[in-house]
Parts: sequence; structure tokens; C-alpha cells
Amino acid sequence: MIKKIRIRGYRIHRDLTIYPNPKLNLIVGGNESGKSTLIEAIVLALTGRINGRSAAEELNPYWFNAADVADFIVKRAASELTRLPEIDIEIFLDNVPELQELCGAHNSNLPTEACPGVRIRCLPNPDYLAELQAWATAPTPLLPVEYYCVEWSTFADVRLTMRPRALTTAVIDARTVRSSGGVDYHLRQILGSQLEPQERASISLQYRQAKAALSESAFKTVNQRIGQLHAALHAQPIALAMDQTARTSWEESVAPHVAGVPFTMSGQGQQSAIKIALAMNRHAGHAKYVTIEEPENHLSHTSLATLLDRMGALASDDQQLFITTHSSSVLNRLGIEALQFLGPAAPVKLDELSTGIVGYFKKLPGFDTLRLVLADKIVLVEGPSDEIIFERVFVDLFGKRPMACGIDVVSMRGLSLARGLELCHRLGKKVAATRDNDGIDPTELRRPLAPWLAAGQREVFIGEVAHGHTLEPQMIHHCGEAQLRTILGIADTANLETWMTRQKTEAALRIASSSEAVTAPAYMLQAAKFIHG
Amino acid sequence: MAKRVTLAVAGSRKTQGIVEHCAGLPTARRVLALTYTQKNQQELQDRLARHAGDHLNIEVLGWFTFLLRHFAKPFLPFMFPGEKVRGFNFEGMPYRMSKGKARFLDKGGAVYRSELGRLAFELITASKGALIRRLEGIYDEILIDEVQDLSAYDWEILDALLSSNIAIWMVGDIRQAVLATNGRSSKNKKYAYADAINWFRTREKKGLVAISESTVTWRCHPQIAAFSDLIFDASWGFPGTVSKNETVTGHDGVFLIRGEHVAAYVSAYSPQSLRHSAASAKQLDLAFMNFKVAKGATFARVLIAPTSPITDFIRSGASMEPLAASSFYVSVTRAEQSVAIVLDDPGDSKLPYWTPPVSTGHRR
Repeated sequence: MIKKIRIRGYRIHRDLTIYPNPKLNLIVGGNESGKSTLIEAIVLALTGRINGRSAAEELNPYWFNAADVADFIVKRAASELTRLPEIDIEIFLDNVPELQELCGAHNSNLPTEACPGVRIRCLPNPDYLAELQAWATAPTPLLPVEYYCVEWSTFADVRLTMRPRALTTAVIDARTVRSSGGVDYHLRQILGSQLEPQERASISLQYRQAKAALSESAFKTVNQRIGQLHAALHAQPIALAMDQTARTSWEESVAPHVAGVPFTMSGQGQQSAIKIALAMNRHAGHAKYVTIEEPENHLSHTSLATLLDRMGALASDDQQLFITTHSSSVLNRLGIEALQFLGPAAPVKLDELSTGIVGYFKKLPGFDTLRLVLADKIVLVEGPSDEIIFERVFVDLFGKRPMACGIDVVSMRGLSLARGLELCHRLGKKVAATRDNDGIDPTELRRPLAPWLAAGQREVFIGEVAHGHTLEPQMIHHCGEAQLRTILGIADTANLETWMTRQKTEAALRIASSSEAVTAPAYMLQAAKFIHG
Repeated sequence: MAKRVTLAVAGSRKTQGIVEHCAGLPTARRVLALTYTQKNQQELQDRLARHAGDHLNIEVLGWFTFLLRHFAKPFLPFMFPGEKVRGFNFEGMPYRMSKGKARFLDKGGAVYRSELGRLAFELITASKGALIRRLEGIYDEILIDEVQDLSAYDWEILDALLSSNIAIWMVGDIRQAVLATNGRSSKNKKYAYADAINWFRTREKKGLVAISESTVTWRCHPQIAAFSDLIFDASWGFPGTVSKNETVTGHDGVFLIRGEHVAAYVSAYSPQSLRHSAASAKQLDLAFMNFKVAKGATFARVLIAPTSPITDFIRSGASMEPLAASSFYVSVTRAEQSVAIVLDDPGDSKLPYWTPPVSTGHRR
């Protein structure tokens, strides 16, 4: 089990430390926050490979953190002696007896500490020191990777050439499906791991025998004919036979079929679902680590629900999952406690949430939890009409929409405000929450929310009972009935409060798009000012 | 976990015992077999392949490789943060007064052979238990052949292994302790060479290890076995050797020969000639093998050019220094049927002289 991941100098991650959950990790973050890079780094350190090819082959200047390289150039220009940029990815594993072969003190922990682990580094190659020094006199943003070497080793300082058995890893990427090249490297790995060594040997043998039989039968007459050709040097006879060399082994000719259709011809959603099921399937050689990128891709809502249920059923204690996602369904269904949020600051995890709240969101796959996770600042409102009115109030005040200020207005749509606030509290977000008083004293309403509130950070704004029990009477109170009738454009015969309450959203939309001045309810104004800061 | 040592006599099939032990273990058991010499390593590997080929979890390593791979390399940063072991310096030695890193590693980062034991030992403590825990995770059982050849800090390392939860079985012949892994260190001099017996006896008293004796030789003729028992005097407390060699050739046992008869003896019996070193027995022009080199080998017959301690021992029974006694013991016990010692003046020795048979056709 991976206890800690430290990535230094690799692409966007200048120095990132993650403490993964033992079973499930849902990696969430905005675009360009380095989710895929994190997965790439894990796979790189565990398997020494990237997209099926060795790290040394794939090494290129863009792997190095741009800030590291820029820093180096600036320091060298100022004649400061500084180290050449390096990449260092460390995977710290559980200190258990089975992993002791990988145990040693060659890691970045201070003070020196021994634990099992693997590490991949891209370092200046000592054989090219002279060339590197020459380059460093006038460095460019593109590092001369030809003079670098890739060192993949255990914490015991043993160089690795093959992935250690204890680190079987399955890599699933649902974002893109490769061209018609057939079964790709990662799928071949996953398929290979399904077979026992004896099964493998038996298939290999029978495949070779079948090919030999073909050479003996179908090719026989052909060979009798072309045997007369004397095409070869020294007039030896030539014959056709099935190629039995290693590059034509059975693995190259095998593909999984779904209902008789080759895997690669089936739908992209189907393909990733099968890969996930194969990788998570419990069998002898099953992968200890599984990475899945954006499982929601190419899947309809119902297919995704099926897949997520299956993943939940297959999840086991001795398999650690790393899943990137942009989908709140995935997050809610698999459990928000597994969240690993890659934000602009240090990564945030939610592993200490009460089981109550985890279960709550599991039952609400439709709720857009990810908006809470990803937004800088949040306004929690009760429903769509509050959302629309708040936007109008905000624009009137600041001349900009909330989104433009990094503020996401999220409608709870009847969900518990306490649960929403608890989540925001754990995420450390700045929140303004608004709600109707429903005829109850605001002080009374605030009391149960108190554990999740903090002055200046998370506050609740509630209108006074005297100004109306819900949004609509509050609007009437603050705008005045005459002004509001103009804004809404309704007949004088209609009862204003009844009309507004019956057609909440319509009323809100008319207010929002009106060119007339709107006087906002006091609590909404306060909320807008609070959140804008 | 069981900790035991078997003290064996020469020719008692120690290596075969290890091979048979391995063949009898469950195949899943993770076993490390350690030996000291290269020759022994190869021998053990070959025999294991033949008799326990299906045991894929048995690994054979030399003692130095063991210390490098499982002690020095993984844990060096505990003593020298950020440093790596970049090789093994077999020949070189640090300056006598060297401190810190320079004590253990040369300029290229290679560990000095002479300091490897000490480095390994110090890392056991420096790693705060991680080192032994790692070994416990990797091996269920460690077998150590030729345990008598360990020296200096190696004994401290054995102490650490004895308090681990790994099963340990050590096999050795204390009387053959002619090789030492560190020729210079003053550490544990008191256990050096044949004194190693005392090391085991003190551990046995503390209940850390069980000693068993294996006294049957399949190689040496009873007379040779009886003679070899005399080399270490009774104060050592070694048990007597029992011979199961029942072959009779007509020339069996231990003999003295005079220098003038050496040529005739060699042509009659073709013995393997043994000497202490290239500097000794220069007056004899024979295809000699040095005592140390002969270790582990078996010959039908040997001819020994004695050193002066050997000469004194034969003439008067004067007891020998442990090292001298060891090397003489090794040379005597190479032989299956006969040992001939070149000596003109027998002193008080009761050993029979071999003389060439009188050729009746030419003399009268």
C-alpha cells in the first residue's frame, strides 16, 4: 500500500506530497491542476514506464518543472552556483514484511528513515559532466536531456530494470482510446495478469502447434510448387511456413471479445468498463495498484451508475485505487471521504469525515459536490429563485457576475444546509449561506449550524422574521409593492405574494432581467458583501 | 525460531548436510545460504541445483555480498546521509587514522573490504531496527557454511542475527579456521581462529544457540582421524573423530619419510604435496599446493612438508598456536588413505617410517 507520494520537479509538480487513502483515492482538481500528471508520476515510479515505453526512451525537456528550469537560468545568469534541475518521484510503501526487499534509507525523509519504497529520478549523467557544464554557461529553457540519465531504484539502492512483483499496476485511461493499433500495452498487461503461468505456457504451446500444423497442411502444395523456384542463393529450396519467432507470439494475436465483437470494435465506454472490471477482478495475480483516468468518459448516466456500482462491489482491501474525475456522480457514489483535492495550495483530503455525511452524499449522486470542491468561494442558497436573485444583487453591487470573482453560487435544492456547510468546513472554503427564516428566529436557526461556522470565514445570512418568512415577502418588503409590480409586469388584480410564491422561478427571472432598479433584501446584500470581501 | 550450530570434523559432509536440509524444506520457505569462499559458493549452488532444484526460494550468497546487499547498500544514509555504496574495494585499506566516511569508503565511494564488517555492524544499530526487520521480512531461514572463517565484527553481526526471529543454522569446523575475513582488525582477536569455539560456548550458556557436534568423518582413514585428534590438545575440549572410512589399500595411516626417500615415495603413491607457502620446503622440487588453498579439497594421499611448529609437535608433542594447528589440521585431513610427513629426525615420535621396498634383484 502506498503511504506517501512525493513528486519533485516533474512537470507541474514542483514539490507535491500526497498521503493516499489505503483503498480509494478520488483525485479532483481544476483543469491544469496536475491530476493526470500525478497519475503519470505514480505509474512512472511503480513501473518505470510511461505509455508502455521505458522512461529513459521517453525522457524529454518538457518533463522538467518549468519554474525549476527558469529558476536555474536566473541563478546561473547571476553567477550563482546552483544544481541542475532534477526530477525525483518517490513512492513510500507500507512497512510490512512482504515489502522488505524494497526497504532502505535511500529516500528524502528527514531525519533518515528506512521504509520500503521505489524511486525514479532524472539526473545529470556523470559521464557528460563536461558537456553539461558547457551548456550551463548559457542555459536555455530546454534542458539537454541527452546528458541526463534515468535512475529507477528501490529505497534499498537496488537499480530496477523490471517492475518488482509486489508492485503490479494496472493503468486505465478512459479519456482517449488509441487508434486501431489493437490491444495496447496496458491492456496486454491487464490480460496477462489474468492467466496462471501454466495456462500461459499451455496456450503458448498449442498456438505454436496450430501454426506448425498449418504449415504442414495448407501450405503443402504451395511449397511443392515454389520449392522448384530456386530463388535463394546456392539454389536451396524455399518454402512458406508460419512465423514461429518471438515477435509473433500468441499475445499479439489475442483480443478480448464482447458478445462476439472484438474489443477494439466495441464502444469506447464499453472498452473502459471492461478494462476496469478486468483490473479490479479478484484473482491471484491481480494488480495491487490501479489507476483510472476519468471513468465517466464515454458513458451515459445509467452506464456510469452501473460501472460505479460494479467498482464498489469489486473494491478490496488489498488493492489501492487512484481515480481522476470531473464528475460529481463518481465522487458522490464512490464516497467523498476518498477525495484528494489538488488545489492551488497544499492538497486537501477529506478522510476524517463523519460516516453520516459520506452516506448522505452517496445517496445524492446528482448533487454537484465538485462545485463546492473546486470553487474558491461559495454562496449556498436554498433554491433556483434565491440563486437568480442573488446573482442580480451581486451584479448590481459590484458590476460583475459572482463567477467572474471566483464565487460559485450553489443551490442546495432542499438538501441539508448543515451537510453542505460541514463539507465546506472540511474543505476550508469561504462560504456565505443564505436561507429563509420560515417564521423562526434567525438566532434559533443558526444554533445547529454553529459547529461549521467561523466569523469572517463561514457565515449564515437570514432575513428578519418581521420582513417576511421567505424570499418573496422579503422582496416585497424591501422593494415595495408598487416597484415590484412594475418589475414583474403583473395585473393589478393579482395578489402579488400569491403570484410570486406560485411562480418562484418565473418571478426571479423577471426580477433578474428587469431594467428597473431592484432593492435587495438586507440579508442578501450582507451575504454578497461578505463573500466578495 | 531455532538457532543452532553444528561443529563438524573434516570430511563430515557438511555441505551435503546443508543441501539435504534444503531439499527437505517446504518449497515456499525463503532460505539464504551463506558461504565464505567463491569455490564453496559455486559448489553449493551446483549441488542445490541437483538436489533441490525445485526450491526456487533458496538463494546462495557470499558473506561479503550479503553484507553489501542487505546492510551497507540499503542503510548507508543512516551513517552518511545522501551517500551511496558505489562499489567494493577488495584490495585497498583506509589510512589507519581515518575517521568518518573515509574510514569505510574510498574516494570513489567503494567500501573497503577490511571495514565492511564494521560498517555493517554499526548500521544494525544506526538503522534503529529497520535492518534486522528487513532481513526478517525477506528470509525465513539463514544457513551459514564455513562459519569458522568469520572474524572480527562478523561475530557481532552473528549476535544480531541470533536475536532476530530468523531461523539460523551455522555449520563449521572450528579446527579449520585458517581463513579469516579480516586479517588486520584487532576486534574480537580473542575469538580469532580456533578460539571461535569459545564464542559459541558462551552463547550456548546464555541459551542463544544450541551446539551439536558432528564427529563422523567419511573421508579420513581411522588412523588419520585419530592422528588429527592429537593436533589440538585436550584443553580445547574437542570430541574425538569417528571414521567411517573402511577402505583398505595396503598403505593406510600416517607415516614419516626421510628426505632421501621422497622421490621413491612420490613415484610409488603419487600423493598430493602440501606446504605452508611458496617460501617453505624450497629444498623439495614437487608440485606443491599451499595449505590454505587445499582447504575443502579431498585427495587419496598427501605428502606434507612440515613447518617448524609441526616438526616440534611431531618430535615432542609440543602444543601448537591455534593458527598453526588449524593449518596442519587442514593439511592432514585432506587425505583419505595416507599422510606422509617429510622428517629426517623423528625425536620422540612413535610414527612409523616408510622406506622404499628393498629391491632384491639389484642388491644382495
